[in-house]
Amino acid sequence: MVKYGIKDQKSIEKIAMGLCDTILTDLTQGKRPRLQATKSSLDNAIYSPTLGYLTPGPKKTITELNVASVKKMSRAIFVLDILLKNIKTGAVNTKRELYYICKGLLKQNPELKPLDFEDQPESDGIIDFLCEIIECYREELNCYANDRGGQTYSKCLIVTETLPNGKKAKIDLSKLGTSPFTPKNRPQNLALTASKKIEFCLVVESEGTANTLVSNGMTERYDCIVVGAQGVPSNSVRAWVKRIQEQVDVPIYFFGDLDAYTLQNIFRTLKAGSAASIIRNADFSAPEVRFLGVLPEDVKKYDLFSYDVKSNDPSEMRSLKKAQDALENDPFFKSQRNRPLAKILEWLIENKKRCEQQAFFSVDANDPLALEKILIKKIREGSYI
Amino acid sequence: MTKNKANEKIVANSTAEYFAKNLQQVGFSSPIKAVLTTVKEAMDNALDACEEHGILPNIRVDIKKLGLGSLKNTDRISIKVLDNGPGIEEKYVPMVFGQYLASSKFGQGRPSRGQQGIGISAATTWALQTSAIGAKVTTKRENERKALRCVVVTDLKKNEGILKDKEKINWENPHGTEVEFIIDGKIQMNGEGGLLTYLRGTILLNPHMTLTYHLTEMEPVTVERVIDEVPEIPKATPPHPHTMKLGEFLSYARLFSSHKNAEWLCKGFSRVSPNIAATLFKNSGLPKTLLDKKVNTLTSDQLKKLFQTIQDSEFQAPSTKSVMSLGEKALSLSVMRLGKVDYFSVVTRKPAICDFKPVQVEVAIARLFEKKSDGEDSSVQILRFANRVPLQFDKASCAIVKSISSVNWKSYSIKQTKGNLPSGPYIIAVSVVSPFLKFKNASKETIDATDELVTEIRKALMKAGQSLSRHIKKEAKTQELENKIKHIEKFGPVLVNTLCRILGASEAKKKKAEEGIEKILGRDNLKTRQQLDEVEERLNVHLASRKDQFDSFIKEDEELQARQEALLRAEEEILGTRYNDDETSSKKEFSRKKKSSKKNKSRL
Ligand SMILES: Nc1ncnc2c1ncn2[C@@H]1O[C@H](COP(=O)(O)OP(=O)(O)OP(=O)(O)O)[C@@H](O)[C@H]1O
Ligand SMILES: [Mg+2]
Repeated sequence: MVKYGIKDQKSIEKIAMGLCDTILTDLTQGKRPRLQATKSSLDNAIYSPTLGYLTPGPKKTITELNVASVKKMSRAIFVLDILLKNIKTGAVNTKRELYYICKGLLKQNPELKPLDFEDQPESDGIIDFLCEIIECYREELNCYANDRGGQTYSKCLIVTETLPNGKKAKIDLSKLGTSPFTPKNRPQNLALTASKKIEFCLVVESEGTANTLVSNGMTERYDCIVVGAQGVPSNSVRAWVKRIQEQVDVPIYFFGDLDAYTLQNIFRTLKAGSAASIIRNADFSAPEVRFLGVLPEDVKKYDLFSYDVKSNDPSEMRSLKKAQDALENDPFFKSQRNRPLAKILEWLIENKKRCEQQAFFSVDANDPLALEKILIKKIREGSYI
Repeated sequence: MTKNKANEKIVANSTAEYFAKNLQQVGFSSPIKAVLTTVKEAMDNALDACEEHGILPNIRVDIKKLGLGSLKNTDRISIKVLDNGPGIEEKYVPMVFGQYLASSKFGQGRPSRGQQGIGISAATTWALQTSAIGAKVTTKRENERKALRCVVVTDLKKNEGILKDKEKINWENPHGTEVEFIIDGKIQMNGEGGLLTYLRGTILLNPHMTLTYHLTEMEPVTVERVIDEVPEIPKATPPHPHTMKLGEFLSYARLFSSHKNAEWLCKGFSRVSPNIAATLFKNSGLPKTLLDKKVNTLTSDQLKKLFQTIQDSEFQAPSTKSVMSLGEKALSLSVMRLGKVDYFSVVTRKPAICDFKPVQVEVAIARLFEKKSDGEDSSVQILRFANRVPLQFDKASCAIVKSISSVNWKSYSIKQTKGNLPSGPYIIAVSVVSPFLKFKNASKETIDATDELVTEIRKALMKAGQSLSRHIKKEAKTQELENKIKHIEKFGPVLVNTLCRILGASEAKKKKAEEGIEKILGRDNLKTRQQLDEVEERLNVHLASRKDQFDSFIKEDEELQARQEALLRAEEEILGTRYNDDETSSKKEFSRKKKSSKKNKSRL
């Protein structure tokens, strides 16, 4: 099994140039160039309990130069040219910016007209394709998404950022009041230290709820870190939580809704990565994250408001199907190690219910600290998976 | 046909006046229609006259704007139609152009264009009404040295044509007729009532015609004939006993009032022998002796009984000899004259019986080059023909339009929203020939959509659609392959150039790579070309097999013809006489339409 580590940009450049050279040499020899990439899909994902994240299987996708692929390949090389220049000069761009850069260049050169992109998804697709064949992260090609989420609150955390010019910037999160610190783009450049022993890190699915907890003084009362995930965790959130796991000695808990979507798309992605990013899950997953809830037992114990999945609502039925699907095809849930999580999915299918994280606010409606109290209780009692 | 002297005058008077007041009923209901109808009547007559005399028609149509018309929103227009027909004997000229219901084509049951002796006289009346100028006629017969030139006007009171400004002139044409009308009207070229639409239709259905048309400021256009045979117009067949409704049956009896009953039944209907006539009488409870009495001796009760018996009796199916077709070969040649035709398919159905009437349907579908880009979404152009006459108005409930909409064109790769007319740059032409064609209304623009007829037309359309779709699919395939080639040629060089720029490769290496990619994609290219050739090859094989089919079709047709002739001869022997050989219908003779006043009322 290959362990994919972050490549430094010099090596990216080397790989890319090597790739171009192979193609050109093949062409001069009248051979059809073949571009190989790891197949990024669940059916090519392996879950190893020891590593704790999804890694690629042996399946490859091969793009051979022919009538059907000549356009895609021409476009890929064209975009690669731009990205390599960016790497050389240290310039960064978002996907949308790159889309316009492409348009601009294509406009200048009539010979390139056939490559023109109709809309951004077309150029995005080419960027993803390049990442696949070079086996790197988009960020390593200096292409950043405006990643959302990751708002972090703590009175005990200090972040040291290495700037491109080599200088260091120090951010003491205790000085930020109720404003969050947000890791951007490359959390890999951030070093974390704790000013005192931190009891736990809580990743909350809803950034709004995370903010409520902080505003009500949770980070003041406890030596903890609170992170808002804002739905499906972006690359930066994933790398950030991984960073916390590695550099701060602290147990991490995830708190979100009780449904198949949260379990698979949000929690599993955070803990073990995703199929789409299969070659880079090592850097984009935090295998030690625990699922704090909402647990099926909480629904019963706290008599939480829950929704019946309406059998006449196609989108809700789809979520049941999703749970079934995850049980059958997701190596993460199929693994014996994660049997307790799989059991939650089974519970969802059996009970046809779903329950939102905010449902805890109904437990003691008069106490603004009710949720905080319950979460602390759960953490201290070990009520998590 | 014998004339009924007593009634003649009264009826004749009211006839001309009636038409003069009701010109809208015979095609003069709007300025646009007036132009179209005038051209149509004159051309129909020219074509009919040539056909009957075995002459290959050369026709010239000249339409000029002379100025403003006297009616609001009209132009004063000159319409001139010249033919190389037999010419018209001087004594008949006033009848032809000035008198209503004067026709040589009353022989009913023949698919000639003119039928009633109204058409050209109505044009004269319209001209007189709007410009006060009669029909300017020049005509010459083969053996005459000089041509007659004159103006014909109508005495509406007497229903009589009058010759004016008569002169004998030298005329360059050996024989033929030219008529000019000066009328108020409005010229419309395209669309439903368009002149060009009419001409296009007439061209399609007359492959033996050479037509020159000079329309207003446009350059004159000549469309040459594509076959050198005058179509044979089948002889008349009397109607099948089952085709008539009671009212029609009673009128029909009146038409034969002075004939003996046996004669009426045997000659007035097909498939009725003297024996059958006797049986019909017997089964109606009519005394046998009445068979030799005149038709007008039957009481209306007796006629009704007879009618009922006929309904209840079985007859041999009607003969299909009285229909005609152009044939797929002639139609194919003619289709190419419709414009820039990309490809087409034609279908000639065998004669069939619909609603006890012999019918023959022909279909031509052509795809035009010119409209390819902008025509994808507009409805196809439809050309409808009844007995070879283009129909141009009131198409909605016409049997032809109903049939076209009922076909699922999508399965032939032609666009269509279900139940509507298909769309795209196509012309769909449908010709229905039947001696007893039924129309929905008096203006004869809409063929009655009976189930049997619609089904028959549908069959023809589907067959034509099928063979057309082969072309369309082949074309799509060719297009796809060509796109592939273009694709390769577009991206190959870009790929190499960019790679070389990134790597800073030498010119030599670049050149080599270019050669390499050409080789690689050229292989694809070659494969593509090979595929293209294969498709071409398959199509050729297909076309060749079609040719065999085509030949065998002709042969089949000839065999059918021979069988039918044999049948007819046998029939003749049994019946003794043959209606068709009736002297009056084959000889050129003018007769006034049978004018029992009631008959006229029912006609009008
Ligand atoms: N150009 C012509 N050459 C020779 N004969 C003609 C010509 N035009 C008309 N005729 C003769 O004049 C007759 C009368 O023509 P007209 O158009 O009035 O009646 P029709 O054609 O018989 O019937 P319809 O009213 O249906 O047109 C025709 O039957 C034909 O014999
Ligand atoms: Mg006529």
